[in-house]
Amino acid sequence: MFFKHVRRNAAKYRKNNGLFFSSLVVAIVAFYTLLSLGDQDVMRFLKTIESDAVSKLMLLIPAVYMISLFFVFFLVYFTYRYQLDNRKKEFGLYLMLGMKRSTLFAMLMSETIWNSLVSILLGLPIALLLTEGISLATAKLVGLGIIGHKISFSIPAVLGTVIGFIAVQMIAMLFLSAAFSRKEPMELLRSDSPEKQVSLSGKKGWLGLVLGLFFLILAYAIGVTMLRSFDFKIVMLVLALGGSGTFLLYHGMGVFIGHKIQQKSPARSGLFTFTGRQIQENVLHQYRALAVSSLLLLMALACISFGIGVASGRGSQETRTVDFSIEGSKQEVCGVLDSEASKSMISMYYPMFLGSMNTNLYDQTGAVLESKPNAHELSWAGLSAALANLPETDLRNNMMENFSDRSGSYLISETSYNNLLQTIGKKPIQLGKSQVALYTSMKDSSDFINNLDDALKSGTYIEVDDRKYELLPNIYFDNVVADRKITLYSALIVSDEDFKNWASDSSTPFCWNVLLSQKTVNEKGLMQAILSMEQNFAGTGLEYESYIGGIGRNLFYTVAASYLTIYLGILFMVIANTVIGLKYLMQQRENKRRYLTLLMLGADVDDLCKSAGTQICLFFALVLGVAVFSSVFAIWSMFTSFLKLPVGTSLVKVIVIAGISSILFVMIECIYIHIVEHTSSREIQALRVRDRGNAF
Amino acid sequence: MNLDRVLQVESVTKVYGKGDNKTEALRGISFDVLEGEFLGIMGASGSGKTTLLNCIATMIKPSSGRILLKGSDISSFRGTQLADYRGKEIGYLFQEFELLDNLTARENIILPLSLHGVTGKQAGGELQELASRMDIVDVLNKFPSQMSGGQKQRVAAARALISKPSIVLADEPTGALDSKNSKVLLDKLYAINKEQQKTIVMVTHDANAASYCSRILFIQDGRLFHELRKNVKTETRDSFYERIVTAIAQLGGGSANVL
Ligand SMILES: Nc1ncnc2c1ncn2[C@@H]1O[C@H](COP(=O)(O)OP(=O)(O)OP(=O)(O)O)[C@@H](O)[C@H]1O
Ligand SMILES: [Mg+2]
Repeated sequence: MFFKHVRRNAAKYRKNNGLFFSSLVVAIVAFYTLLSLGDQDVMRFLKTIESDAVSKLMLLIPAVYMISLFFVFFLVYFTYRYQLDNRKKEFGLYLMLGMKRSTLFAMLMSETIWNSLVSILLGLPIALLLTEGISLATAKLVGLGIIGHKISFSIPAVLGTVIGFIAVQMIAMLFLSAAFSRKEPMELLRSDSPEKQVSLSGKKGWLGLVLGLFFLILAYAIGVTMLRSFDFKIVMLVLALGGSGTFLLYHGMGVFIGHKIQQKSPARSGLFTFTGRQIQENVLHQYRALAVSSLLLLMALACISFGIGVASGRGSQETRTVDFSIEGSKQEVCGVLDSEASKSMISMYYPMFLGSMNTNLYDQTGAVLESKPNAHELSWAGLSAALANLPETDLRNNMMENFSDRSGSYLISETSYNNLLQTIGKKPIQLGKSQVALYTSMKDSSDFINNLDDALKSGTYIEVDDRKYELLPNIYFDNVVADRKITLYSALIVSDEDFKNWASDSSTPFCWNVLLSQKTVNEKGLMQAILSMEQNFAGTGLEYESYIGGIGRNLFYTVAASYLTIYLGILFMVIANTVIGLKYLMQQRENKRRYLTLLMLGADVDDLCKSAGTQICLFFALVLGVAVFSSVFAIWSMFTSFLKLPVGTSLVKVIVIAGISSILFVMIECIYIHIVEHTSSREIQALRVRDRGNAF
Repeated sequence: MNLDRVLQVESVTKVYGKGDNKTEALRGISFDVLEGEFLGIMGASGSGKTTLLNCIATMIKPSSGRILLKGSDISSFRGTQLADYRGKEIGYLFQEFELLDNLTARENIILPLSLHGVTGKQAGGELQELASRMDIVDVLNKFPSQMSGGQKQRVAAARALISKPSIVLADEPTGALDSKNSKVLLDKLYAINKEQQKTIVMVTHDANAASYCSRILFIQDGRLFHELRKNVKTETRDSFYERIVTAIAQLGGGSANVL
């Protein structure tokens, strides 16, 4: 009997709170997706090559999980409180009829657990499907191939989700029902008085509005101009200004709306005044909720853009140039590579001549630190002069400093580099007599590249043994070895003859570069192809680096950063939207009598629904407007500071991705607005004028 | 006085619920309301007064019988016609005022007009006239939470009157007011009835309030069972009051005190 009652109450609750209930389901899906990250194909794969980083990430996940539980807790707490408020009379009655407090408490708890179980039963299958999909899709995207796919069902993740979720619900309910069961039955039976119309004094409101706007503009300006150096103090300043600005803005907005209504309403008929006053009241009473949701949405937008930026920025520049770089003598290497097993998989291999110039070593002042026999004299003066002509920045000064060092620069032989260019289908370099080209592997820093490019375009040179060598106007930055661990701040691509003359050791290649054939890659997926090629090296004693090692690190940061931020973004978005939607619906239910009165005064049901629709749209628009506007600046400052897209990221691709995400965002918001409108219309239509009879 | 019938109630019944749960709130009530009348309706608690008023106001549908307003059957109204009837033909005064508490007095009063496409500017003149008659000019820009109970009810009365309804229905309008504020409100209603020939139907428990009426219907168990008529020309309010009290005592018998 007790449980039947519990089940019925719980079902009624789910029906009346579809919006909140589906948010809980989304939360479960998100929780599981987060907790099962370690079981994704990509992560399992990365564990084998980047175990340190992966285990660090796995330590981070519980923290992120706790943060999300914390946010979800508020959502749950706040909805349950509203729910219990609505049922106050019911509880009062139970108590009056002699129900024991402990029984009431047990009933509430059982209802909560029952509801949690239902949402878990609904959410987990969705979560499993989703993680499976993500696992397959990312594996495919990064070229893992589907051979290594394992069903990612993870028992610890399921347990973590279930325990975390139920715990949050129980704790919220515990707090609330403790407060409720302490009350006397009479207190519960008496329905509370409706909220009074707060009339914020005009001056205070306007002040808030102006101050809020001022703070926000200040935050935008500082964010865009000064955040580049990512100074902690400035970050805090921007956050404080932005946060308080948003609160003040919403606080003052009610007065502004009231002013507008007073101005416009005499000339308008219909429900205009009512609709306006409802919105004004909502803003006045709920400005905190509005500000919090707006900030949450801003966070969501920033997180998601960050995630997408990381994912698309890293992905785009991954031109694969070399799959393996093998160290060893010619006989050893060729012996392995020319074997039957290897030959079929390889498209080409070639020696990479990379070495340092034989010069004296100099200290920072330019004094000789160590002199070498047959040393050459290198001078970057020409390039430095060109750099000096560029506008002065910290970076430029720093670059000039670095190029003043005349100690042995790195050299790359022309033939080696041309082999590399050939493998990736680029045009080879043609070095004329007395010509060299500039190389750097630091392509992720677009300002650095731009500075060098500008300098080179102005026509410049280096000097070796007092002879001028013209620098080609283009800068080259394709990876010369398979492993990204090697960074070359600068190197010179020189003719084979110059290489022979200048390099300290010109006879042995730095390594042998191997590129797998496209056919093999297409068949097996890049990762699998590399892994099976590695088997051919096993037991030969050859030292090698593979593309996976380099890409693995990169992939790890990409996957981890974008996964986590997009996860948080979606969670914030769900919470913000649910809060706005619920706030509105609660307010409408509280104002049921107003709608009844309007019906009595001859308002049309459709007009009432329309008025509610306008209120909902405006309510959402108020939150979204500020959030989206702020997010423009947040994203702007993000992409001009710590999230610079690397050179060569296709603008079209970025625009397409940004466009698709914005459309998705708009669609999600539309769905939310639609759900809320639908619920609100249903509730208005269910109002019967006769209900008033009972109200007396 | 003009003898046109504004409202005709013809053998109206109302049954709530089904089967064992059935309550027969009205068991066949018939009466007419004439133009310019101030009609009182009295009866014990649960006798069906509110039900009757709600039927007239189209808040609920009668189970059988007809209600005609100026000759047309209100149960046949649908959609716009129904909204127009509620907004223009009847004014309703509630015991609990039912003002929208996020609208100013002014906005509340002109609401019935706004709903039918009249702007605040257009209604300005009428509003001023009604406000000064109801003595609420000072509170026009206040919100309900900033007004006294009496002011609220007079604002509600202004709202009920602004659309110039054919009939004003009031369900215990003084129920939530103290005697002083009750008297002010009743005086105003009385004056409007006298000067503008406005038809008013008022449910009340209070013999004093009833004494403002020109005719009183007594209802018991969903049936009409007595009628008192004030002798308009000769009778003072005090002597009518005496008659009402006597009638209540006689008719109600032991249950007089529940009226
Ligand atoms: N919505 C309803 N559902 C079922 N029964 C109802 C409903 N409304 C009223 N009743 C019943 O109909 C009868 C008449 O009720 P009504 O409210 O008309 O009485 P009343 O004369 O206005 O009483 P009071 O003076 O106490 O306001 C009562 O017995 C009541 O219980
Ligand atoms: Mg009643």
